[in-house]
Amino acid sequence: MKISNKFLFAVFLTGFSIYLVFALNPEGASRILLNLLTFAGIYGLSAIGLNVHFGWTGLLNFGHASFMGVGAYVTLILMPHAAGREGEITSTGLPFIVALIIGILSAALFGLLLGLPAIRLRGDYLAIVTIAAAEIFRLLVRDLESITGGVYGIINYTENLQQYRPNFINNFSESLGFSPSQAWVCLVAWVSILFTVLFLKRLNNSPWGRALRAVREDEDAVRAMGKNAVWLKLQSFMLGAGIAGLSGVLLAFNYGSLETTVFVPLLTFYVWAIMILGGVGTITGPIFGSIIFWVIISETDRLAFILFENANGQQLAGVRFLLVGLLIMALMIFRPSGLLGKKEELLLDVK
Amino acid sequence: MSNSLIEVNNLKKTFGGLTAVDIKQLGFNKGQLTSIIGPNGAGKTTFFDLISGFQNSDSGDIHLKNKDISNFQPYKIARMGMVRTFQLTKVFDRMTVLENLLFSGSEISNDSLFKSVIKSKSQKKYEENLKDKAKNIMEDLNILHMADSYARELSGGQKKLLELARSIINEPEILLLDEPLAGVNPKLAEEILSLIKKLSNEGITILMVEHNIEAVMKISERIVVLAEGSLIADGNPNEIRTDRNVIEAYLGKDND
Ligand SMILES: Nc1ncnc2c1ncn2[C@@H]1O[C@H](COP(=O)(O)OP(=O)(O)OP(=O)(O)O)[C@@H](O)[C@H]1O
Ligand SMILES: [Mg+2]
Repeated sequence: MKISNKFLFAVFLTGFSIYLVFALNPEGASRILLNLLTFAGIYGLSAIGLNVHFGWTGLLNFGHASFMGVGAYVTLILMPHAAGREGEITSTGLPFIVALIIGILSAALFGLLLGLPAIRLRGDYLAIVTIAAAEIFRLLVRDLESITGGVYGIINYTENLQQYRPNFINNFSESLGFSPSQAWVCLVAWVSILFTVLFLKRLNNSPWGRALRAVREDEDAVRAMGKNAVWLKLQSFMLGAGIAGLSGVLLAFNYGSLETTVFVPLLTFYVWAIMILGGVGTITGPIFGSIIFWVIISETDRLAFILFENANGQQLAGVRFLLVGLLIMALMIFRPSGLLGKKEELLLDVK
Repeated sequence: MSNSLIEVNNLKKTFGGLTAVDIKQLGFNKGQLTSIIGPNGAGKTTFFDLISGFQNSDSGDIHLKNKDISNFQPYKIARMGMVRTFQLTKVFDRMTVLENLLFSGSEISNDSLFKSVIKSKSQKKYEENLKDKAKNIMEDLNILHMADSYARELSGGQKKLLELARSIINEPEILLLDEPLAGVNPKLAEEILSLIKKLSNEGITILMVEHNIEAVMKISERIVVLAEGSLIADGNPNEIRTDRNVIEAYLGKDND
């Protein structure tokens, strides 16, 4: 494999971001880094799924949070957990792996159900429908208190994953001052990314991947060649939704409790930002995009504080968002097609 | 039932108050090269859209090989062996010329997600054969040197060639060509024309919409003339050349 300059630059920028974490935080840098890498892994995985939708197939999905949500809720509800106002405890349930698989399949099924009526719509209409569907999902979950715990959420489920935590994580975490349970979630997230990337690499160069790209380029021409564009789009929707479902489960395990507010539209927009930063249509781009994005998100308050030592909290929050915007803008001006995206395939010119 | 390969009866399509297509009866025989001509807005493209399933008619029926295809999806009609090109060329811009052909040539079963995950030996072999087939076609059409260029980098004429190459890779029975010579330089037009002639000689039934009357007269066995959605003349090139209705339709409107 030949290593491109683009790739080296992405690695360099990612490395530099991580260095910044140490430079800006004289104390506790490694704990901050672990937290950031865990979020980066989970969101990166989600962005990889979104890239199957948008980057490969050209589907404008603005309801990605709902796929993550379906995965998370179905998986947690199937396992031992506690939910609701009184925290009613359900002590029986499926083992983690089985629940996870059903959760992922449910997210894919949700993609299918949402896609069946919506996917025939032209790009921008699909965007509107997916935004709406995601909000409906979230409100539904909030109101179905007897199952989902409603606004009180779900708790007491983390053991389902933590019971498999290997010993070396404990030893390693102790010496570095990490939370071992987060270190375990982080590891699982990055292993999931590894397998997802390998799987997608296999598909990208396959006749199926080629067919998705053809759909992205021109659906009418796909139909004229005797191919069922709707079915291809549905398959893409299911695959991306399934990947999002997995990342949703990991997100739940990174938090100790799951609430509907996790799946607000902002989550979807973060995932979009990560995908665009990393490179639309690429497979590994979102990984780099995600780390850099999370360094920006988590370190800008620190940076704001250093820049404006005398500002109050409210002013700092403002400066922070300004910095987030400016940094992402600067990156996009510098790299319009994202870190790993190809100039020739610049995909932001949506039809 | 008639013995036409394609036949339409009482086919009507309106857009608001405008009648785009209104044809009582029209059939096309196997193996013939027919041109469809008529002034701008005559309904030629709409006629193609109707018979290839890209638009639904208001009324009337369409038969392909004696099968009613009036409500068929475009991909089903294409799979029955009738493949179309578009007036506004549609290529897969951000895919290479080779990929454009491979996608178009690949069978549905070869595109399956499952097979693409498994990556069996038989799929690899199929892909290799497909690549050879694509290379042969590119060679025939003089676009082999651009195999690895993105389709968006091609000139307008080259895109027309690519679209044509894509349409024939699966050896269709019927080709619907919507203005294959539009915007193509005279030399390339000559090449495309002889390619169409060659395909016709190989037995493919061809319907061609084209404004280049000289070319139409030269290669067509039959010419069908539409004006304002209706059929106004139908015959061999000599008959059409002298047809009063045709002359009126062309001279009555400000047209090439
Ligand atoms: N989608 C549409 N909506 C509204 N009107 C349409 C639509 N498609 C076509 N028309 C109208 O129908 C008529 C026939 O159009 P069509 O494109 O079939 O003509 P054509 O014979 O192919 O013309 P040209 O030679 O210019 O390509 C025109 O008046 C056109 O404006
Ligand atoms: Mg036309």
